[in-house]
Amino acid sequence: MTPTIVLPVIIGGLYAAGVYLLLDRSLTRVLLGFLLLGNATNLLLLSVGGPGGLAPILGYAEAEEMSDPLPQALILTAIVITFGVAAFMLAMIHRSWRLVNEENVGTDEEDRRVAARSDTDADELDPDDLAPEDRPAGHADSLRIRAGAVRGIPSDDVDLPSASAR
Amino acid sequence: MTALLLLHLIAALGAPLLVRWWGRAAFLVLALVPGAALAWLLVQLSVVLAGGVVEETTSWIPALDLAVTLRLDALSLTIAALVTGVGALVLLYCARYVGRDEEGTARFAACLTGFAGAMLGLVLADDLLLLYVFWELTTVLSFLLIGGDGARLAGRRAATQALVLTTAGGLAMLVGLLLLGQASGSWLLSEVVADPGTGPAVTAGMLLVLAGAVTKSALVPFHFWLPAAMEAPTPVSAYLHAAAMVKAGIYLVARLAPGLAEVPGWRPVLIGLGLATMLVGGWRALRQTDLKLLLAFGTVSQLGFLMVLLGGGSRELAAAGLAMTCAHALFKSTLFLSVGVIDHATGTRDLRRVSGLGRQLPALAVIATAAAASMAGLPPLLGFVGKEAAFAALWDGGLPDRTTAALVLAGLVLGSTFTVAYSARFLWGAFARKPGTPPAEVAHPPGPLFLTAPAVLALAGLVAGPASPALEPLVAGYADTLPLLAPEPEQLGLWHGWQPALLLSAVTLLGGLGLFAVRARVSRVQERLAVGASADEGYWNVLQGLDRLAVLVTGTTQRGSLPAYLGTILVVLLALPGTLLVTRAPWPAEWRAWDTPAQALVGAVMLIAAALALRIRQRLSAVLVVGITGYGLALLFALQGAPDLALTQFLVETLTLVVFVLVLRKLPKDIAERHRGRERAARGAIAVAVGALMGVIGAVAMAVRTATPVSVDYPEEAYEYGGGQNVVNVTLVDIRAWDTLGEISLLVVAATGVASLVFLRHRTGGVDRAEDLQLRPDGVSPRRAPRRRWLAATATLDPQRRSVVLEVITRLLFHSILVFSLYLLFSGHNEPGGGFAGGLVAGLALVLRYLAGGRYELGEAARVAPGLLLGSGLLVAGGSGAAGLLAGEDVLQSAILQVTLPVLGDVKLVTSLFFDMGVYLIVVGLVLDVLRSLGAELDRQDDEDDPIGLQPGEVVVR
Amino acid sequence: MTGVLAPLPVLLPLLGAAGTLLVGRHPAVQRVLSVVVLIAVLSVSVVLLLRADALGATAVSVGGWPVPLGIVLVVDRLSALMLVVASAVALGVLVFAVGQGATDGSEQTPLSVFHPTFLVLVAGVSNAFLAGDLFNLYVGFEILLMASYVLLTLGGTAPRIRGGITYVVVSLMSSLVFLAAIGLVYAATGTVNLAQLAVRLGELPAGTQVLLQSMLLVAFCIKAAVFPLSAWLPDSYPTAPAPVTAVFAGLLTKVGVYAIIRTQTLLFPGGALDTVLMCAALATMLIGILGAIAQTDIRRILSFTLVSHIGYMVFGIGLATSAGLAGAIFYVAHHIAIQTTLFLVAGLVERQGGSTAVDRLGGLAKASPLLAVLFFVPAMNLAGIPPFSGFIGKLGLLRAGVAEGSPLALVLVAGGVVTSLLTLIAVARVWTRAFWRPRTQQPGRDTARAAASDAGPDTPDGEVTDGNGSAPVLVGQSARRAARQAAWVRHTQVATASEADDDRAEERDDDDEVHPLPGVMLATTGALVALTVALTVIAGPLYGLASRAADDLRERTPYLESVADVAVLR
Repeated sequence: MTPTIVLPVIIGGLYAAGVYLLLDRSLTRVLLGFLLLGNATNLLLLSVGGPGGLAPILGYAEAEEMSDPLPQALILTAIVITFGVAAFMLAMIHRSWRLVNEENVGTDEEDRRVAARSDTDADELDPDDLAPEDRPAGHADSLRIRAGAVRGIPSDDVDLPSASAR
Repeated sequence: MTALLLLHLIAALGAPLLVRWWGRAAFLVLALVPGAALAWLLVQLSVVLAGGVVEETTSWIPALDLAVTLRLDALSLTIAALVTGVGALVLLYCARYVGRDEEGTARFAACLTGFAGAMLGLVLADDLLLLYVFWELTTVLSFLLIGGDGARLAGRRAATQALVLTTAGGLAMLVGLLLLGQASGSWLLSEVVADPGTGPAVTAGMLLVLAGAVTKSALVPFHFWLPAAMEAPTPVSAYLHAAAMVKAGIYLVARLAPGLAEVPGWRPVLIGLGLATMLVGGWRALRQTDLKLLLAFGTVSQLGFLMVLLGGGSRELAAAGLAMTCAHALFKSTLFLSVGVIDHATGTRDLRRVSGLGRQLPALAVIATAAAASMAGLPPLLGFVGKEAAFAALWDGGLPDRTTAALVLAGLVLGSTFTVAYSARFLWGAFARKPGTPPAEVAHPPGPLFLTAPAVLALAGLVAGPASPALEPLVAGYADTLPLLAPEPEQLGLWHGWQPALLLSAVTLLGGLGLFAVRARVSRVQERLAVGASADEGYWNVLQGLDRLAVLVTGTTQRGSLPAYLGTILVVLLALPGTLLVTRAPWPAEWRAWDTPAQALVGAVMLIAAALALRIRQRLSAVLVVGITGYGLALLFALQGAPDLALTQFLVETLTLVVFVLVLRKLPKDIAERHRGRERAARGAIAVAVGALMGVIGAVAMAVRTATPVSVDYPEEAYEYGGGQNVVNVTLVDIRAWDTLGEISLLVVAATGVASLVFLRHRTGGVDRAEDLQLRPDGVSPRRAPRRRWLAATATLDPQRRSVVLEVITRLLFHSILVFSLYLLFSGHNEPGGGFAGGLVAGLALVLRYLAGGRYELGEAARVAPGLLLGSGLLVAGGSGAAGLLAGEDVLQSAILQVTLPVLGDVKLVTSLFFDMGVYLIVVGLVLDVLRSLGAELDRQDDEDDPIGLQPGEVVVR
Repeated sequence: MTGVLAPLPVLLPLLGAAGTLLVGRHPAVQRVLSVVVLIAVLSVSVVLLLRADALGATAVSVGGWPVPLGIVLVVDRLSALMLVVASAVALGVLVFAVGQGATDGSEQTPLSVFHPTFLVLVAGVSNAFLAGDLFNLYVGFEILLMASYVLLTLGGTAPRIRGGITYVVVSLMSSLVFLAAIGLVYAATGTVNLAQLAVRLGELPAGTQVLLQSMLLVAFCIKAAVFPLSAWLPDSYPTAPAPVTAVFAGLLTKVGVYAIIRTQTLLFPGGALDTVLMCAALATMLIGILGAIAQTDIRRILSFTLVSHIGYMVFGIGLATSAGLAGAIFYVAHHIAIQTTLFLVAGLVERQGGSTAVDRLGGLAKASPLLAVLFFVPAMNLAGIPPFSGFIGKLGLLRAGVAEGSPLALVLVAGGVVTSLLTLIAVARVWTRAFWRPRTQQPGRDTARAAASDAGPDTPDGEVTDGNGSAPVLVGQSARRAARQAAWVRHTQVATASEADDDRAEERDDDDEVHPLPGVMLATTGALVALTVALTVIAGPLYGLASRAADDLRERTPYLESVADVAVLR
C-alpha cells in the first residue's frame, strides 16, 4: 500500500506534542500528553487500514468500496479503553490534590534515601570497628595481651561463648 | 542407601517433637539413626573389600540428568563410616552437653541430625549434581548451627561469613561440574573420573571445582572462616569443623584425583595451597590461648596436610592420605569433645585459667593425651602410621617431580613439627599445673555418658594404630585406582624397619617439643611478626566494597522520578526500533499526498491545537485545545469512512471534557512551570525524535504489505452469520466480541476505581435524594428562584447558580435524548450506533441533568446505584457468552431469531443484541459512577469542608 | 471438551465479578463467591493442562467464526501451565486477603472494591495467557493493568497514590507502544491472528521483521521489568497492601515474560535480537540484585530480587535453545510461586514486627519460630539453594548456557552465578538482622553497649606487663576506638533518620511481646510455602512438561496446526 504524507505528519506532530507533555511534572499535563498520544495512536491505527473508503455498512456501500472495518473496530475498543483510563487518572489527580495539595509527580524518597546511604550495618562492619568481644576468632590484628595473662603468652583469642555461660 | 537418607530426613523433621517429649534424652534416640547407617556400612564392608560396589538409583529430574544415584565404594565407605560413626557419638555426647530443657535444643537437634544425613548423602552421591545438592545442604545447615539463636553478633557474622564463602566456592564448583559433565558427556562421578575428557573445558571445570573444595576445606586464603566458626557449640565444632564438613573438600579431591590429577594445574594448586595452609595453621595454633581455637587452627593445618597427600595423585600418597584422614577425624573430634567437657566442668577454655585439671579429671586427661599423641604422630597410634606413610611415600616417589617431592617433604616435616608443638601446648594448657594460677575448680564433674564419646573415639585411634594392616585392604581399595610412582607399594603398619621416614618422625617430635620448651621466646617472636592485615580483613573489605558499589549503582539507576523513567523508555524506543528503522527497514518507494485534501486542513488545525497545548499554562484552556485535537480526529475518522468511530470519538471527547471540568474545578487555575531550560530542551529533543519515528514507522510498515487483509471477508460474513449490515458493529459485538467483553469489564473496573478513589472505604455513597432535605418553609431571599419548578431538585441550588433556560432545555431534552440513545442501541446492528454510542448518549443526558440541577437532581434522575448497573451489564454480556456454551456451541456464539409478532410483523432478532445491551448498561453505569463520585461527592465534600461562602437560601445537608 | 473449558478461566471470573458487584452490600457473600469462582478456575485450568499435555495444543474460535476472521483462544502446554500456576497462586492470595480483611475489617482493603477488581484481574491474566490473537492479548493486558491500577491505589493513601502514579503512567506508556506495534503489524500483514502472523511475518523483508519485533519487545520488556525499563517496579509495588503486592509480584511481570516467550518463539523464530536479549538479561540480573543489596526494607529487597530474577528468564529466552526455553518456563512457574509467597510472608512480618524495615525489626525467630520457618525456606528457595525449585530452575538455565557454549552465554552463566550468590547475601542479611538479631541490638540502640565495649579493652592497658608489646596495642586501640565510635554514630543517625516514617513501629519498638498472627493468613502462607516445596518433589514431571512445552515452542507447528492448517493462514 502507498502511504500518504499528510497522515504521518499529523501522527508525528501529535506524538511529539504528547511526549513533550508526558515528560512534564504536572499530572494534568501528563494526562493531556497521554490523551494526545492516544489520539495519535488511534490515527496511526486508522492510517494502516489503507486508503479511506465508504462507510462499511451494507446497503450503503459495496464490499469493495468500503474502508477496512477491522482497524475501526480495534480503534473503537482503544478509544473506550483510553476514556476509562483517563477517568481513573483524573480521579488520581484529584486524590493526590486532596492529600498533598499538589498535583505533581512526586519523587520516591526511599530511593533518594538509599542513594544517600553511607552507613554500614553493625553486622557488616569492618572487624576493627567492632567491640572486642564481637571480633572474629583469629582476626590477626586483634593480637593483644589480656589482663591476668600468664606472662608472655600472646593470643588473638576472643571470648567464645562457653558452655556454662550459655 | 536412599532409605538411610530418608531416615535421617525423617529424624531431623521429627527431632523437635522428640525433644519436646523427652528433652535432651531425645539425642540418645537420634544417635541411633547414624548408628544404624554405620551398621549398614559395616555389613557392606565385605562386598566392598571384595572390590565390589553397591549402587542405587532413584529417578528425580530426567530432563536434567539429575537423579538420586548413590554409590558405595572403598573411598565413600571409609569416609561414610567416619561421618556416621562420629555423628552417632557426637549426638550421644549432646545428650549430656546440652543443658536440661535448654532453649533452642529442638532447633539444634534437628539441624545436627539433618546435617548428618546431608553429609552421608554427600559421600554416597555418584551424580555430579546430586553431590552439589548435598554439598549446599551441609553449607546451609552449618550456617544455622553456627548462628545458633543469633543473639551474638560474632556468631551471626561467623555464620554469614561461612555461608557466603562456602556458597561462593560452591557456585564456582557448580559451574565447574557443569563444564566437566559437558566435556565428559556423563553426569556420573564414577564415569567422569573414568574418562574426564580433555581440552580447556576440563581444565577450567577442574579449577572451578577445586575452588569449591578449597573454600569448603578452609584452605588458605579462605581458612579464616573456620576459626570464626568456633562460635558454634563444641559438638558442632567437633562434628562439622573437625570430622565431617571440612572433610567434604578433601573427599571431593580424593574422589576426583584418579581422573583429574594429571590435568595441568591440579597439583600446583592443591599442593601449594595445602602446604601454605599447613604451615600457617600450625604457626597460628601456637599462639592460641583458647583451647578450642588452638584446635581450630590445628584443624586448618591438618586439612592442608591432607590436601597435599590426597591431591598428590599417586598411590602411595593417597594411601597415606586416607589413613591420615581417618586418624584426624578420630583424634580431632576426641580433642574437641574433651574441650567441651572441660568447658562444661570449669566454665572456661582459657589455658591460662585452667590449671591442674590432670589431677581432677584423670580419665579425661588420659583420653585427651591419647588423642593428642595421635595428633603429634607418636607410635603406636594411627596418627603415627599415617604420617609415617606420608614421609615414606615422599622419600622415594610420591610425586612425579623429585625436587617438588623433596620440597613438599621438607614442608610437611616443618608442619608436623608445629603439630607436635601445639599438641604439647594443648596438653599442657588443658591439664598441666601452672605456677601462679589457682587450680580451676570443677563445678560439675562429667558423668560416664558424657565421657563415652571421646573415650570411644580415642580408643579407636589407639587400636587402629597396631591394627593398621587390617585397614590396608580398604585403603588399597581406593589407592590402587591411582598410579604407583614409588618402586614398590608400602603397606600401612607400625614398623617398617629402620628407614628415613622414622628418622624424620623423630626429628619432628624433637623439634616440636623443643619449640614448646622455648614457647615464651617463640611467642615473643610471633608478636613481632604479627601482621596487621589478614584474609579476614580482606573479606570484610570486599563486602563493604560491594555495599558501596550497590548503593552507587542503585543511586544512579533508581532515580525515583517518573520523568526520568519515561525518558529512559523513550530513549530505548529510539535506540532500538529507531536505529533499526534507519538502518535496516526498507522505506516506501512512493508516497501520495493525501486521501482527500480535507485531511490536510483538519490536520493543520489539530497540529496547531496540539502546539498550543504545549504553551498554555491555564488548565481549562489546555484541556480545551487538546479536546480540539480529539474532535479533529473524529472528523478525520468521518473523512476516512468510519461513521461509528467518528460518532464514538465525538461523544467520548465530549464526556472527557466534562470529567476534566469536574475535577479541574477543584484545582488551581494555572499550572506552575517547574522545569529548567535544559530539561525542556531535552524533552523537546526526545519529543521531536519520537514524533519523527512514530510518523515514519507506520508508513514504512504499510509500504511492505502484500497480503490481503483478513477483513475482506467481513462484510458478507457479517451479514451471513452476524445478521447485521453495520460491519463495524457486528465486528464489535460478534466477530471480535471477546475483545469487547474484556473491554467492558475494564470499564467496570475503571468505574469501580474512580469510585474507590473518591469514596475510599466503600464502593459508593448513598443516593442524594431531594426528599432528604427540609427546604425552609418559605425562602426569605429577595432574589427567589422562579416558583415554577422545571426539575425535581433544582430548589436545592443557590438561585444564582440556577439557570431557568438550562432547566427548561434539560426538561424538554432529557427523555428524548434517552429515547435516542435506545434507538442507537437497537439500530446499531444495521446503522451507525450500537451499545457504546447509545450508552454514551444516555450518559450525556445524565450529565445534562447534573449540570442543570446539581447532585440532588442527579439523584432524582438515576436512583439506582451504579454498581448494580455495572454488575448487571457485565452479567448480561458475559451471560450471553456463557449461553453459547450452555447451548453446546462456542462461547459468545450468536443466533438469529425470526419471530412474527402480531403488530410489528416479522422481527429479526440477533442474540448478540443482548451483548450490546450489556455494553449499553455498563457505559451508562460508568458515566453515572463518574458523575456520582467526581461530581456529586466532590460537591458534598466541598459543602462539608467550607460552609463559608454559602449564599442565603442555599441549603446544606449534613 | 477443551472447546467448552478454554473460555472459562476468563468467563468465570468475569461473571464472578458481576456477581460480587451485585451483592456489593454483603461482604460475606462476596468472599464466598470469589473463593468459589477461583477454585472453579483452578480446577478447570488443571483439566486443561492435563488435556493439553496429553492431546497437544487446541484452539477455540470464539463465536464459532472461521479462522482467521474471529478471535481464537489457544491452549497449549505453555499457556495451560501458566494458567494452573497463576490460578493456584491467585486463589492463595485471595484466601490470605480474606483472612486479613476478616481481621482488619475493611480498613486496609475495602472488600466491596477488592473482590470484583481482583476477579477481573484474574480474568485479564487468564485472557493474556489464552489469547491467540495479538489485539486480544493487548485487551488482556489492559484488563489486568486497569485492575492493577485500582488494586494498587486501594485506600488512596499518599504513598500508594505516588507509587500508583508512577506505575499507571509507565504502564500506559507500554500499552501505547504495544498498541502502536499492533498497528504496524497489521499494516504490514493485514492480520492480528497470531498463527497467521507466524506465517505472514516470515514473508516480510528481514528489516521490517526485526523492526516490528523490536517494537513488541520494548512494549513487553516494560511490562516484564527488564532493565533498563525496570526502574518503575520497585517504586510502585512495595506501597500496595501485602496481598496485592504479592499477586502483582507473582503474576503481572510474568505475563510480560510469557508474552516475550510467545512472540519471540512463534512470531520471530529467527532470533534476530537474541544478543540484545542476552545483554539485557545480564544487566537486569546484576543491577537488579545490586539494588536488592542496597535496600533496607524487606519489601523493596524482594522487589529488586524480582527484577533481578526476571533476568534469569530473559537469559533462557535469549539462548533460544530448547533447553534454555525449558529452563525459562520452569523458572517462570517457580518464580510466580516463590515471589508471591515471600511477599505474603513479608506481610506477616509486618504484622508481627510492626514494620518491614530491617533496621526496625529484630528477634523474629525467637518471637515466632513458625514465621521464621515460613520465611527461611522460601528465602533459601529464592536464593537457589538446593534442593529447592529455585536451584532446579537455575541449574536448568546454567546448564543450557554451558551447553550453548558461546562466549556471551558463558558470561551470562557467570553473571547468573554471581546473581545467585548476591541473592543469598541479600536474604541472609534479612534473616540475620530481622530474625536473629535481638531488638536490643538494633542499630541506634547499640550506643550503650558500644560505650561499654569501648571501656572494655582499655582497662588492661594499665596492667600490661610486657612493655614492648603494649605500645603498638595502645595505638591500635585508640585508633580502633575512634573508628568504632564513628561507626556507632553513623548507625544512630541512620536509625533516627528512618524513625520518622512509621510510628506504629515506634510504639512497638519497645515491647518485645508476641503479636499473634491470624490463623487464616498463617495457614495460607504455609500452604503456599508447601506448594513451593512441592515444586521440588514434582520437579521431574514438571520439568519434563516444561521441556515438552519448550520443544513445542521451538517447532511452532503444534501451535499453528492447532489453529488451522498453514494453507488457510497464508
